[in-house]
Parts: sequence; structure tokens; C-alpha cells
Amino acid sequence: MTDEQRPTGASSAPLAIEVEGLHKRYGDHEAVRGLSFSVRAGEVVGFLGPNGAGKTTVMRILTGFLPATEGTARIAGHDVFSDPIAARRAIGYLPETPPLYPEMTPASYVDFVARLKDVPRAKRKAAVDRALERCGLTAVRSREIRQLSKGYRQRVGLAQAIVHEPQVLVLDEPTVGLDPIQIREIRTLIRDLAASGHQTVILSTHILAEVEAICQRVILLGRGRKVLDQPLAELMAGGVALEEVFTRVMTRDASDALERGVA
Amino acid sequence: MRHTLTIASREIRSLFLSPVAYVVLTLWSVIAGTFFLASLYGFHEQQFRLQELQMLDRLEAMNLNDQLIEPFIGSMWVIVLFLLPAVTMGLVASEKANGTDELLLTSPISIWDIVLGKFLAGVEFVTILTAIAGFFPALLFLYGDPELGKTLAGMLCLWLVSVTYVAVGVFASSVTRNQLVAFILTFVLLLILGMMLPFIVDISMSGSGIPSESPVAEVIRWMATGSHVERMLQGLIDTSDLAYYAVASAIFLLLAKTVIESARWR
Repeated sequence: MTDEQRPTGASSAPLAIEVEGLHKRYGDHEAVRGLSFSVRAGEVVGFLGPNGAGKTTVMRILTGFLPATEGTARIAGHDVFSDPIAARRAIGYLPETPPLYPEMTPASYVDFVARLKDVPRAKRKAAVDRALERCGLTAVRSREIRQLSKGYRQRVGLAQAIVHEPQVLVLDEPTVGLDPIQIREIRTLIRDLAASGHQTVILSTHILAEVEAICQRVILLGRGRKVLDQPLAELMAGGVALEEVFTRVMTRDASDALERGVA
Repeated sequence: MRHTLTIASREIRSLFLSPVAYVVLTLWSVIAGTFFLASLYGFHEQQFRLQELQMLDRLEAMNLNDQLIEPFIGSMWVIVLFLLPAVTMGLVASEKANGTDELLLTSPISIWDIVLGKFLAGVEFVTILTAIAGFFPALLFLYGDPELGKTLAGMLCLWLVSVTYVAVGVFASSVTRNQLVAFILTFVLLLILGMMLPFIVDISMSGSGIPSESPVAEVIRWMATGSHVERMLQGLIDTSDLAYYAVASAIFLLLAKTVIESARWR
């Protein structure tokens, strides 16, 4: 496993993601409450937490889809609020539901995204072919996306996210709703992507095994707050099972919710 | 600008991958053909009758432009009002329904790129509609001698009305993720803008003591498309009419941009 050498190597790398004092309110509901963390270039970080912990909200703020109520976020040194275009150029994003046009083919769709993400014209064709190849889509590149299986559609979503070789890859539950074989394929793909490029990956999930399989570091969220932020190796060495920590957060969440319900 | 074209070309390709575009084009062609044929028969009949009655001065005054092409285009712009909502309803609404708005809004492009790209795709489509409608008056040039300038002014008028209605459609499509809602909203807006405004003025004025020539009534009449069609169909290209189409399009596009932008702040 080359994964184990990486955290030490990455510690001197520049920061790819910097988040400080992030708050997000939807009316009365506070989805994110004072979140701060940073990710160094080349790291693969797992965003873990129960449903409703604020994972998707944080990712949407990082990608510029949602504005934060308070706080700052920087991608590769660009502030996502004051310099959104530069920040977005540095990001590849796979939302929870892949943003696909069912009537297009993978090839034309990925080409469209390459144009949106400012891949230079001379390099565009090669970039599209490479993204399709890396995601194992070459054989279906001219089929309609609507005819593809869910696993393949997820791959098209991934191809779209990597076509402009972004510095930071944001993946929101990349394996949700897939069968075990597809899950393994997508995981291998993400690991390969992280290993081949010097790509920073931040992926959200509520599956513990996924974090253990792909990530070097875990950020655990509970009700919009950071509960834990530790390298996976350390966590495993400490003898604390990830599952136990996770369950503790979940239980605390549940009792909090209960209290709120009573009050 | 580059991104605007990227979005427009994707949109127009997707439009032609769906049956809607073909249904609308077919209906439009059939309706245009029927109306043209009807106008042609009407023209012929009137000519025949005038000849029979020996009303030579009236017969002399008859020409293809005023008695055939003008009423033809005059009815076609009303058809736009009925058919166009089916084409524009999905422009922005389908992005929201597909979740592809999340791709567009997290790409390094501006919201104007999205709005203008959608608008441009719609403009391309109505250019095709105008060209199809123009085919029929063009036939007359083979067998008669209508005035070219007047005919072109009429075609320009049809195109400008359609372009303005595309802008309305882009706006209506941006307020919802449901295409049916977008369709109905577009249709109602076009109906009000296109036909009902003058009536609304007349009805609301009739009870009150305000004279129907008051500035308010004038402004509302100015807002109606109908008041900017007539002169142009007669071959008079007036800057105030051109300004109307430009201003109306700009207002609806600006509204669409504001709606898309504000959606993320909720």
C-alpha cells in the first residue's frame, strides 16, 4: 500500500482546501455550525457523518453552488465567494445525483463539460478521450446516457468531474445506490485517480468501509460540527474502531434531536 | 461569450433530439400552409368578385402585399404565441429537474452565459420557424411581383415578435422546475402581453372617469405586442417599434437572470 507513505509526504504540501468558521443557515435551521478544516494537496479525505450532518451543504459551499451564511472557504488559494470563477476552475465536482443530460452520449456530454471548464481547444479532444478511458467508458462513449446502467452513469459523472484535471475533486456520495461490484469499481477508480495525479480528493459517505478503503484522513461531521479530524492510520492504530466513534456521534445526535423534540 | 455559445449549441442539439421540436415544426408548417392557402383563395375570390362587379378602381388598388402577405403574417405571429411555449418551457426548468443546474452553477461561467445561451438557442429555433413561414410568400415572387421591402419588413416583424417571446419563455422556464408549470406560465404571459393588454385597459377604464387617452392607458397599450406589429407589417420600420422588442426582451432576460441568481440564496 502506497497510501501509508502519503500523509507524511503531504504534510509539507500547500493547502488545497481551507475552510474557516463556516456557517450555513436555512431559515431557522442551522445546517453547518462553525466548521473549520484544511486539506493539503494530494490528500484523500473522507467526509463522514450520518444523514443530515451537513456533508452535502459543505460540499455545495465549496463548489460555489450555495453561498455560506458566514465564514470563508478557499480552493487552491482562491476564495469561493470573492473569486468564484478561479475557484470553480480548480474544482471537479460530482454531486449526489450525477448532473447528466440523458439524451446526450458520454462523449458529447464530457466534451460539453470540457468546454464549460475552459479546457483549451487544442487539448480538448485528448482530455475527453482520457477522461472517458480512465472511467472505463470508451466502449459506451457513443451510447445515449439514458440507456446506461446506474453504475455507468456514475462513471460518466466522474468523467465529467475529472475532464479538466482539477486540483481538487469533490465527490458527494460517489457509490450510493450502486451494487457491490459497481461500488468496488468506483472505489478502485477513485483510488487510481488519487494515486496517479497529485489530486486532492474530498468525498462524502456514510459508509465506514468506504473511508477505510480509500481515504487517508477522516473528518467526521455531526449536526453541522466537526467531531473528529484524524489520519486514518492513527485512528486505526489507537485501537478505536471507526464504527464505535461513528456510533457515538450518531447516538449523541439522536439524543440531541430528542431533546429538541421535547423542548 | 464562448460559454454562451457552448450552452446554446448544446441546447439546440438536445432540442432536436426530443420530439417536441419536430412536433412544433410540423404543426407550424401545416398551419402556415393552410393559412397561406386560405389567404390565396380569399385573394382570388375577391379579385374575381371585383371583376364581376366592374369595380375597377378597387381592383386596381389590390396587391399581393396588402391583401395576402400582410394578413398571412398577421395571423402567423398569433400562432407563435400558441406553439412557442412548448419549445421554451424546458429551457431552464429541465436543468433543475435533471440536476444539471448544479453542473452549470459550479462551472467557471457566469449566469448571463446560461441565460443568453438559452435565449440564443430559442432564437435559433424561431429563426427556423420564420424561414419556414417565409417560404410561402417567397413562392409569390415566382408567379407575381410583390414588393420585396414590404415582405421582408413583415418577416422581420414575425421574427422580432418570436424573439421577444423566447425571452418571455426563458424567464417563465427559470421560475420553476416543472415543465408543465413553465408552459402554462409562458402561455398566460404571452396571452396577456400579446393580446389582452389593450382589452384590459379598455375594460378597466370604461367604469372609471379616466379618459382612455390618459398616459397610463397609453403606456399599457404600448406594452402590447399588437400595437407594434401593424406598422411593421405595412412596411414601416419605426425605431420605437424596434425599441419595444429590444426593451421587452432585455427586461425578461434580466428577470430570468435575477431569478436564477436568487435561487441559490434561498
